[in-house]
Amino acid sequence: MTLGASGAGVLRGAWPAWLGLVDRTASPWLLLPMDDGQSDHLKAYGVTFRVLQRGGRAEWFLNHRGGSFLVPGDQATIRDAALAGVSSEPVSEGLLIDLRAQLKQGNTDAVPLEKPPKVAVYAPPNASPWDDAVTMVLNYAGIEFDKVWDAEVGSQGLKKYDWLHLHHEDFTGQYSKFFLNYSGAPWLAEMVKQNQRVAKALGYPNVPAEKKAVANEIRAFVERGGFLFAMCTATETLDLALAATGVDIAAAYADGTPIDPEAARKLDWSHALAFRDAQLELSPNVPAFSDIDGHQVNSLDRRQPLGAFKLFNFSATIDPVPTMLVQNHRDVIPDFYGLTTSFNKRTLKSSVTILADEPGAPWAKYIHGELGQGTWTFYGGHDPEDPQHQIGDPPTDLSLHPHSPGYRLILNNVLFPAAKKRELKT
Amino acid sequence: MMSSTRWRVPFPVPRSLLPLLTVLVPALLSAQDPLSRAFDLERRGSFAQAAEIYRGVLQKEPGEVTALLGLERSLTPINRLPELLPVVRAAIVANPSAAPVYSIGLRAYAAANLLDSLPHLVDLWARAAPGDESPFREWAASALQRRDRPMARRAYQMGRERLGKPDALAAELAQLATAEEDWPAAAHEWVGAVRQLQGYRSSATTALAMAPAAARPVILASLAMEGGPDAARIGVDLRARWGDPVGAFETLLGILPKPLPQQLDVLQAFLELTRLQSSPTYLLAQARTLEALADRWTNPPQRARFRLDAARAYATAGQPDPARRVLGQIAADPASGPAVAAGATTTLIELLVGDGKADEAAGQLEKYRSTVAVDDYLRLRRAVALRWAQSGAVARAEQMLQSDSTIEALAVRGRIRLYAGDLKGASDCWREAGPFAGTREEATDRSIWLALLQPIQPDTLVSFGLALQLLDRGDTLKAAQSFERIAAGLPPTGGGADLHLLAGRLQAAAGQVAEAERLFRTAVVKEMPGTAAAALLELGRLQLATERRAEATRTLEEMILDYPTSALVPQARRLLDQSRNAVPRI
Repeated sequence: MTLGASGAGVLRGAWPAWLGLVDRTASPWLLLPMDDGQSDHLKAYGVTFRVLQRGGRAEWFLNHRGGSFLVPGDQATIRDAALAGVSSEPVSEGLLIDLRAQLKQGNTDAVPLEKPPKVAVYAPPNASPWDDAVTMVLNYAGIEFDKVWDAEVGSQGLKKYDWLHLHHEDFTGQYSKFFLNYSGAPWLAEMVKQNQRVAKALGYPNVPAEKKAVANEIRAFVERGGFLFAMCTATETLDLALAATGVDIAAAYADGTPIDPEAARKLDWSHALAFRDAQLELSPNVPAFSDIDGHQVNSLDRRQPLGAFKLFNFSATIDPVPTMLVQNHRDVIPDFYGLTTSFNKRTLKSSVTILADEPGAPWAKYIHGELGQGTWTFYGGHDPEDPQHQIGDPPTDLSLHPHSPGYRLILNNVLFPAAKKRELKT
Repeated sequence: MMSSTRWRVPFPVPRSLLPLLTVLVPALLSAQDPLSRAFDLERRGSFAQAAEIYRGVLQKEPGEVTALLGLERSLTPINRLPELLPVVRAAIVANPSAAPVYSIGLRAYAAANLLDSLPHLVDLWARAAPGDESPFREWAASALQRRDRPMARRAYQMGRERLGKPDALAAELAQLATAEEDWPAAAHEWVGAVRQLQGYRSSATTALAMAPAAARPVILASLAMEGGPDAARIGVDLRARWGDPVGAFETLLGILPKPLPQQLDVLQAFLELTRLQSSPTYLLAQARTLEALADRWTNPPQRARFRLDAARAYATAGQPDPARRVLGQIAADPASGPAVAAGATTTLIELLVGDGKADEAAGQLEKYRSTVAVDDYLRLRRAVALRWAQSGAVARAEQMLQSDSTIEALAVRGRIRLYAGDLKGASDCWREAGPFAGTREEATDRSIWLALLQPIQPDTLVSFGLALQLLDRGDTLKAAQSFERIAAGLPPTGGGADLHLLAGRLQAAAGQVAEAERLFRTAVVKEMPGTAAAALLELGRLQLATERRAEATRTLEEMILDYPTSALVPQARRLLDQSRNAVPRI
């Protein structure tokens, strides 16, 4: 039975009306389907996350009904699902045995989810909550997170977190090269002032130097076993900053000295997470960082049109991590721009796992890899439901996109660190 | 294009000659002049081959502008523009007076990133074409293509100095300042541009109108400092766009040009601005502009038409006195045609009905019956009848509608029955009238009342009719109190809960938060799940509107959990998301 189905809500004895929606006596478990039968895919992740927060256990049924979740059928969960408008189906012990038998056949598996990850979002203190797809979807799903920025990262503040998200930060310290199009804009002046203030307070000569140090702290976080998820321009510039240790890749307006003309040759890609042998954009007048991005949205002569990207299919038992990351009710998703929209396959290290790409195009959209004890995932683009995102656009209202397959990929990343460690085979 | 027409055979070709033609045509093509051949190759996308032919032509004639342009076109798509540089240098030597040569040169040097060479090239061009703004405009354009705004500004300012004209390149500098949100500079330059060419006014207003609210006073002050009619006109247009059309109109009257035709042009342009919105302020400005046009117009029928439109705009803006004054002018003007007179009569009667002067309206309607269209006559009769019923003269109202057999009349009759407290009669009339009588809003309104009447057991409730009369006369608070009294006398499941909800909504609309909350809570009756869910939703909305998020959250959660099958649950979830900042509050 699905919440909101006709006939539901009938008062049954002394139970509250919302408990009348499921047969309490026969349903110790609830299945949150994640196929087209789900009424709010994004909030289903929040319901599952809160089960873990309450100390409960859940399971992720990979490749079963769009990557469904099995959660306890207790009052708190039923109430939470009802409030969130998340469809749930009662599962008896008998039905669960049948389900498990089904999961043993075909490319499916059940992954136990045990501990809710402690989530941190890297964002300046005055960032608008609507300016970052991850913040938006975490808020919408009701998943708790802390905001951290350079001071916290610099003082080893990342140690208490399991999961870190980066969005459109420019780790080359060039303010996303916004100087070209937005010079004089008050918000840019404020951004510059704030970054310079923090760099000075942390004892760095300039913003690019400070951002490189932050990038290295983030790398160390992953190496220690952290889960890193990055979107938009944070993906490309994090790796550029890591590869540019000791090399000046920032324009004169950012650090007072021009870019080293030999910078591209001097980059050490062994420090980078995902990319190699990329060509650095040496001109401060071109609003792009390198040829890592396949779409080059702000370069009129290089800009590529948007297509659609396709999620890869992995073996649920052999590759549970990539499988978790691509759980979705759609496998072809419309593309969306960001300052970095996609990743040229030519610039990817051979160890990188491509999770999604545009068939026939030379770029990947969604990639994953490991470093030390941890993992990282990069997802190109800014906002999955605002394909042409421009500065100043109205915020995306996710209650109008509760089934967004693009946003689901973000939430897959939030939940997969909760998976029991022994299951992480790759 | 040129070659395809040149080689079209203007007569039917015998089949026997086709083999011969296949041999001859390529030969003829090769005999074609080189520029046409290169152009053909360009069209086919063979840019490298085309470039070679253009280069060959330029070796013989270095100053040949067509070939130079062709070479630029061909080299651009294959990213070989820097190859143009030696050719351009030769062209300048050979043809130093040709402006296109310099223009191509600027683009080629910029593409090759030889930015230091640009000022020299611009200097050469400026010497070859004294007084021409193009060298500086092209230089700035190449800088803007690289998003180098400081260099573009330098180019424009150098042009201004070299040309010795303080307003030179004003439109370009204005656009630059607008892009940089330097609003005082933008205002100054736009005024200069408009002084040079009046056609820039619309661009100036559109560009400056985009300024954020905080920058608007700065722009208006800058325009005031500029002085002169052009700056004043821009200021007037901006004020009209920024929500002060009446103030803008008053300023406009003071700066109208002397010649009458120009006055009319200016007023008509302003009239269009007042039509951008339909709020009472804009309608008032519209009415005053129409009146001003009528006062200046010499053609009597058009003058009367302007006055009629002005009267209607005044009436819609809620300004009955000036509307009546203008209608009086129409009546006094013997040149007003019959159509205008009929329109004036209709507007006047609408005004009288709006003022509650139903008797006078009825008298006027009968007096001018022959001049008013039949449909308008019937519509006005229904309006008069409704007004009578609102003031308690139900029998008179019903009598007036006796001869009207339209479904609109049936719908009005239902409302009149309700004013009389005849709940069953009202329901019967409305069901008979169906959903298509009157406007969509009227039909929706009838559906809401029908749903409200449904659970009420008595067929007649005079107090209900009196409460509705109060409501329709605009006395919301008294109406709310009356409906609450009626609700108290009815069982909760027999209309009591619904009327408490209605009374709560009226109190909320009147800003009586505490009263509204009390009534919404009273309307939450478990046995009436539809009403209870709606009351909780209204309560949650009210709590959220008064920034009591925690209370709103509790109320909305109660609503969703207690009434999960209510059609209002999605609305409650959305409000809940807003209350915890999970979605933007727009």
